Amino acid sequence: MAKIEDKVDLYDDRGNKLLGDVPLTAISPVRNPAIRKITGMVSRLAAVDLAGLEKKLSAGAIAGKQMVIRGKKLDVDIVGNSESIASQVKEMIQVEEGDETRAEIIGGGKRLLVEVPRARILADYSAAKTNVCAAVTQALIDTFDISMWDAYIVKSAVWGMYPQDPAMTGCVVATLVDVPISNEGPGFALRNIPVNHLAATVRKRAMPGACLSMILEEAACYEMGDAVGPFERGHLLDFAYEGLNANNMLYTLVKENGQDGTLANVVYDLAEKAKADGVAKPKVKLESGYTVYSTDDLQLWNAYAAAGMLAAVMVNCAAMRAGQPVPSSIMYFNEMLEQETGLPGVDYGKAQGSSVSSSFFSHSIYGGGGPGVFHGNHIVTRHAKGQFIPCFCAAMCIDADTQYFAPSRTSGLYGEVLGTIPEFAEPMKAVAEGAKEIM
Amino acid sequence: MPQFTPGSSFIADNRRKFMDPTKKLEKLRDIAEEDVVRLLAHRAPGEAYKSIHPPIEELEEPDCSVREMVKPTPGAAAGDRIRYVQFTDSMLFSPATPRIRPMMWFNRYRGVDPGVLSGRTIVEARERDVEAIAKEYMDNETYDTARTGLRGRTVHGHSVRLDQDGLMFDALRRWARDPNGDVKYVKDMVGGAMDKEVVLGKPLSEDELLKRTTMFRNAQGGAWMETDDPEVADVVAEIHWNRTWGGFQPFIKRDQIKGNKDVGVKGMKLYTPRGGVE
Repeated sequence: MAKIEDKVDLYDDRGNKLLGDVPLTAISPVRNPAIRKITGMVSRLAAVDLAGLEKKLSAGAIAGKQMVIRGKKLDVDIVGNSESIASQVKEMIQVEEGDETRAEIIGGGKRLLVEVPRARILADYSAAKTNVCAAVTQALIDTFDISMWDAYIVKSAVWGMYPQDPAMTGCVVATLVDVPISNEGPGFALRNIPVNHLAATVRKRAMPGACLSMILEEAACYEMGDAVGPFERGHLLDFAYEGLNANNMLYTLVKENGQDGTLANVVYDLAEKAKADGVAKPKVKLESGYTVYSTDDLQLWNAYAAAGMLAAVMVNCAAMRAGQPVPSSIMYFNEMLEQETGLPGVDYGKAQGSSVSSSFFSHSIYGGGGPGVFHGNHIVTRHAKGQFIPCFCAAMCIDADTQYFAPSRTSGLYGEVLGTIPEFAEPMKAVAEGAKEIM
Repeated sequence: MPQFTPGSSFIADNRRKFMDPTKKLEKLRDIAEEDVVRLLAHRAPGEAYKSIHPPIEELEEPDCSVREMVKPTPGAAAGDRIRYVQFTDSMLFSPATPRIRPMMWFNRYRGVDPGVLSGRTIVEARERDVEAIAKEYMDNETYDTARTGLRGRTVHGHSVRLDQDGLMFDALRRWARDPNGDVKYVKDMVGGAMDKEVVLGKPLSEDELLKRTTMFRNAQGGAWMETDDPEVADVVAEIHWNRTWGGFQPFIKRDQIKGNKDVGVKGMKLYTPRGGVE
């Protein structure tokens, strides 16, 4: 393990100190207990749409709404029998008494939340989805005494288009992480969660939303092999300053520019802060009087820039009460920071680069989409590692439902389910508490 | 005091002037607010603003510290729709350029969403905020009536030769020149019919344009960045160096990297003659 000696103070989303002198290693996704719990649950939680399943079966729409086979339908009261189905699923999924397994009914029987025990995941996290699919199929066959001649209808309704389509289109079991075939590359599983789900989970509060999003992005960076050896410190610094409001810098930048500040004011405040803290130092004065800055600690400079970028997004998007300016805010925060100092923008230019392509995809120039359905597992977003997607989550938290893809429209179920779990609802506090345990 | 952007030439000075919110931009004309609304074509003059959500004060906002700290713009507070204004700047020495516009707006406005595309620059914001930006940036020195266009669609003209009247090419013929030299809009921003023409006034002279532009252009008497203001390219080169350093090994010191230690790329041989190649 690389030696990292930096320490930071962690603050919450209202500028209150949570924990002082926290070693960076204590917020590492591979060590912090709260982060491990969050990432573990993200890969093991499954939500089953029981009401949807009942409707699909009664309409013969067995593998999704366009996959209707007339006459091939089953009228079964799934919602009315949800308690029984839940207990059967739990019994089938559980590995041993007292493990993490749970199967809870939500919304009066319309939905079923299943937590698959860790023991079921031997190598591939998809085991959560496949096991729940199989258990629900079996529970339905048993509950309604489905014959051998009709069992395939149930199987198709639950599993969707699998195995024709390995991405399982039309499946009634939803997991936060998608199946591996939908990942952009190795280690991308935790980056494949639309920011709206996270915004709904934190009840649309921008700083906790950005934190939760960054927990998953940074954890994915570890799984992608991007945070190994001397690179690890850079990721932890970015995470601390941008995601965890280290040293209260993020909060202060937003607070000081909230009433009448522009995005550019955040840029210049951040540059001044970096100079005052000795992170940016004058290198040379040019003919016009313009000073070029350099740094002795490029990773720390990047963390400062990352915190500034999120603050700039918050200030500009919240002034508009809209999520749409997030790519342009990222682009020009970085452009103006580089022009102001001569030092590189966030992730050494990659945040700015990603913002160009994501502008097109978030403004309906290349088809329908919006920042709310963005995640880090996409060709236009994946290049900046860790710092970029939290800005989108913050922007969607701030959006006053100006977007077609609003969290309330796309992610109600996720908000309902995950919002009740303390680590998801209050991620900044949870990480600080987790750090305290291992300090 | 921010530095805004490097450079010792008058072009760099103009850029900094456009970006610096403490500097008031010169007002060259005064287009009636009603005419701005007419040109934008988002609502009829005098028509009430449509809204997409109730006023913020009446909304029960989430318990979010950022929303509590950041004041909404007037348009956002009222729940206005999000609308746009879009400018095309001619590469023949229009005062503003696509690159400088977003940097200027992000220095001077809150709650804006600019976008630079091929030869045109859009800014989206809440409707009444958009109208304020449109009015200010059609009235002031960043706008020339012949070299800057208000174009919602069919925006081409930026890199096209001027037409016979000295106006930037416009395939939709939104504008025309009066015999007295005034430029007037006969169609709105998207080329739709208007109930009356809007006169913008006379264009700036060629000398004025060359003096006011924020564009380096090694042709037609423009400033040549590489020789007239090398500092600008030097800083870009420095940023590029630093980006590459970070992409390689951000944990080492810059001077451990073999190669250039100074700012900029010295001794770069330029093959293009002054005035460019026609």
